[in-house]
Amino acid sequence: MKYLRNLIILIVGLYILTLGLVYVDVYDSRPLISLFKKMQSDSALEVVDFSVDSTKNSNSRPMPNKDRNPYYGDLHVHTKYSFDAYVFGVTASPDDAYRYAKGAAVKHPLGYEMKLREPLDFYAVTDHGFYMGMIQAYADTSTDISQNDFAEPFHNLNRLDNLTVESAGERSNIFSSVLGATIIKPYPDWHPNLLKAYFSRNTQGALRSFDYDIHKSAWADVARSANEHNDPGNFTTFIGYEFTTSTDIEGGNLHRNVIFESSKASIRPWTRIDSINPEDLWTWQDRLREKGVDTISMPHNSNGSNGQMFEMESFKGNALDVEYAEKRMRNEPLVEITQVKGTSETHPLLSPDDEWADFEIMDVRVGSRPPTYSKPSGSYVREAYLNGLTLEFTKQGNPYKFGLIGSSDTHVVASSLDESNYWSKVGLLDGDPENRGSVPLKEENVARLEEYMRAFNQPISTVTLEQGEYANTGFTQWGASGLAAAWAEENTRESLFAAFRRKETFATTGPRISVRFFGGYNLSSIDLNSESLVSEAYSKGVTMGADLLNNDDQIPEFIVWALRDMNSAPLQRIQIIKGWIDMNSGRPKEKVFDVACSDGLEPDPITNRCPDNGARVNINDCSITSNVGSSELKTVWKDPEFKVDDKAFYYVRVLENPTCRWSTWDAIKSGFKPREGLHETIQERAWSSPIWYIPKQSEVEVIPLGGTIQLRNID
Amino acid sequence: MKNKILVFFIIGFVLYLIDIGLNNYDDKEIFISDSEITSLITAWRSQVGRNPNDDEVARIINDLVQEEILYREALKLGLDQDDRIIKRRLAQKLSFLKQESVEKLPSSQELKDFFNDNKEKYYIEPEYTFTHYFFSSENNSFDRSNKAIKDIYGNKQINADPFLLGKNFVDVNLNKIKNDFGESFSQSIKNMELNKWVGPIKSPYGHHIVFISNYKNGYFPEISMVLKQVEIDLLQLRRDSAIQEYLEEIQSEYKIYINPELTF
Repeated sequence: MKYLRNLIILIVGLYILTLGLVYVDVYDSRPLISLFKKMQSDSALEVVDFSVDSTKNSNSRPMPNKDRNPYYGDLHVHTKYSFDAYVFGVTASPDDAYRYAKGAAVKHPLGYEMKLREPLDFYAVTDHGFYMGMIQAYADTSTDISQNDFAEPFHNLNRLDNLTVESAGERSNIFSSVLGATIIKPYPDWHPNLLKAYFSRNTQGALRSFDYDIHKSAWADVARSANEHNDPGNFTTFIGYEFTTSTDIEGGNLHRNVIFESSKASIRPWTRIDSINPEDLWTWQDRLREKGVDTISMPHNSNGSNGQMFEMESFKGNALDVEYAEKRMRNEPLVEITQVKGTSETHPLLSPDDEWADFEIMDVRVGSRPPTYSKPSGSYVREAYLNGLTLEFTKQGNPYKFGLIGSSDTHVVASSLDESNYWSKVGLLDGDPENRGSVPLKEENVARLEEYMRAFNQPISTVTLEQGEYANTGFTQWGASGLAAAWAEENTRESLFAAFRRKETFATTGPRISVRFFGGYNLSSIDLNSESLVSEAYSKGVTMGADLLNNDDQIPEFIVWALRDMNSAPLQRIQIIKGWIDMNSGRPKEKVFDVACSDGLEPDPITNRCPDNGARVNINDCSITSNVGSSELKTVWKDPEFKVDDKAFYYVRVLENPTCRWSTWDAIKSGFKPREGLHETIQERAWSSPIWYIPKQSEVEVIPLGGTIQLRNID
Repeated sequence: MKNKILVFFIIGFVLYLIDIGLNNYDDKEIFISDSEITSLITAWRSQVGRNPNDDEVARIINDLVQEEILYREALKLGLDQDDRIIKRRLAQKLSFLKQESVEKLPSSQELKDFFNDNKEKYYIEPEYTFTHYFFSSENNSFDRSNKAIKDIYGNKQINADPFLLGKNFVDVNLNKIKNDFGESFSQSIKNMELNKWVGPIKSPYGHHIVFISNYKNGYFPEISMVLKQVEIDLLQLRRDSAIQEYLEEIQSEYKIYINPELTF
């Protein structure tokens, strides 16, 4: 008897101890899920070749160009398979998404047509991996899974009284409650499905609301669609999805898009149910790579991460080391610097001397309700580059040596890239000017919006201004952006993916500005007006995304060349942004140099600024000054403040002449003045991936600070 | 939590008894399911970070009840009628369900028929191979290009600018040319003589002198060359037309009246 009692106490004790250890180890407040995570959810490693046997157009494939062409696309697109897209009223499919990218018109949930001015070169549908396809199944009352109680809120989601403005509360509420794990409830601990999940190495099987078959078939459809629309030489697609994770404690956004190199992909996406730790995502990517399936992941909306995206410590709070840096860079060579939810280049508080830093800033955490401030430090790309140099200085490796792309994050399958024809991205919630706060609300909508916000315990989000009462739901901080661009030999998966890997990429806020960037020694010997400019620059120097090694302490020179988008405003200036670690003070520094000015103007050598070219915008009709600005800008630049020992990076920013912002266009079209307090105009822009200058091995001895260095990582 | 629900359950049951007692049957019955309440309470908890107290639970449920009442009264008053947005959402939802139900592979005869009916869709556009000298609008492109076209026939050295998008274009169609050089440039290419320097031609970037060395006629491909694409397109069409077929099936049951004299 006593023996039995002791045994029971022992078993219970061991059980509690295991849960405790697992909790401490994987840093997750869901002990059972954590236990499965230790198993690495191996089922996500099964590889499937989704390829379709396509013979189309193999005869009309353009010749590759060894000097490379710029290709434009969007690597961040949601369709009906995303749990929130369906909540936003979106019923368009991946096929619709690819047709849109190829130039066809598709319908917005509010009924109007969306169409590109010119087709894109590549496109990747990246639906949220977790619960992919599931919400759609909940809402469709003919499926088995919809008969469960957790599916019920979705049944009547699009019910009769669910109008646009007033449904904002409920729709956002469902969005948050999915993220907030309302329906991510595991089976009770004794349930046989838990054992089944364990033996099938699939954490998701432990969740009551999860149907693996529906999930797999949604994913297979995403892959099918991508492969069917891929047209080598003419139009490229990638199989992809979004890994939608965040930090446990403060909801810091850690979202990433994952794209696959070929038609081969895993049988299901690796999701936040497998693990909320991005480092585990990289492990999964590494293991897939061992099986011959290459992927890259691309973080986005670092601006809404509350400083978590580019932290100086690991997810679990450990010191970063060389191993971490290598793993991160192996899997995440690119970062999405701009999209609808704001631009993450830098913040006025981080770069007070940069007059262009206050650009499309979104200052709240992604998905936070009520909106919660996102701390700038750790959330912006330029600071991350500087922190990367500091980490490298302390011999911890540089995990922030990434290239740049833009993308839209549209949830209505169609990127919104044009300020004068803007539909934002979340369907019913922001598909018209009233809802996104650019024109005053009609009286009946004010009352409804207030009522609903109250019903869902949210702060009243309207504001009374001169012209009336406006929705104040945060959409005013969103905008028509962005594009991913890559320099590649031809428009194929292999060629583009290789460009992503070597970071020969740039980002734009929507227009198809193109920019070349080379660094090297003695580049001024190349004739800028010669036909062989590009091939010579490739052979004598390095291009964007690459390292420039010290060479006999020579001073590096840079060739930069930008061409305008013929459908957007002319170019105003090219800037080179330099960041470095000052070896004397140990301080990170940054500086913006204007290197080429429009209209034959020259930058001032003291201020490093171009004179005003006189370009203005007429706010009453959005017309711009004609005959000002340049169709192309081109120069060779030598860093006037170069120091051979300072680690540094250089990237290009190309600025257009100012044009109207979408909120101004919205207001004008509806007969209002632009809403006060918003920027009336913007300067569309492009950013290149940086070139990193690598000094000679330092003779200075770096003395590690307590605990930040693991001895085995010192060479 | 369970207790609170139980309390309301009991209250509800009492009300139900009273209801029966008064023998008052009609459509004015509201059943609030447990899951509706728990999901609201969980949402509340995830927002606020603690459980709602009794007052708050009462308010949440009260709001829910009131919403349901208002909803039903609104239906009775016919507020759902004549509302474009409501109609459109319902219509979209139905078409969405209809689209989902198609997935049968077409037979080869069906593919052939579809291909023959849609030949234009598979037309391979004419392709041009050309090279060009570029004169940037940043650097007096009009005069320089006009001089260059004379120089080129005088076998003199041409002093042109490099073009960012490249010099030689092989087998590109007019759409691609339009995307790179603009509409008017692509129109000029269309009517241009082969194997001859022609120009200057204006683009948004400056002026160009162009030499077309090869032209491939457009043509209609054999079905075998585009079979997979035909299949994809046919399936897509079927998905799209599922709703149309459904409509045609049912539309005959409706009589539609439109005022023929309406002017606007």
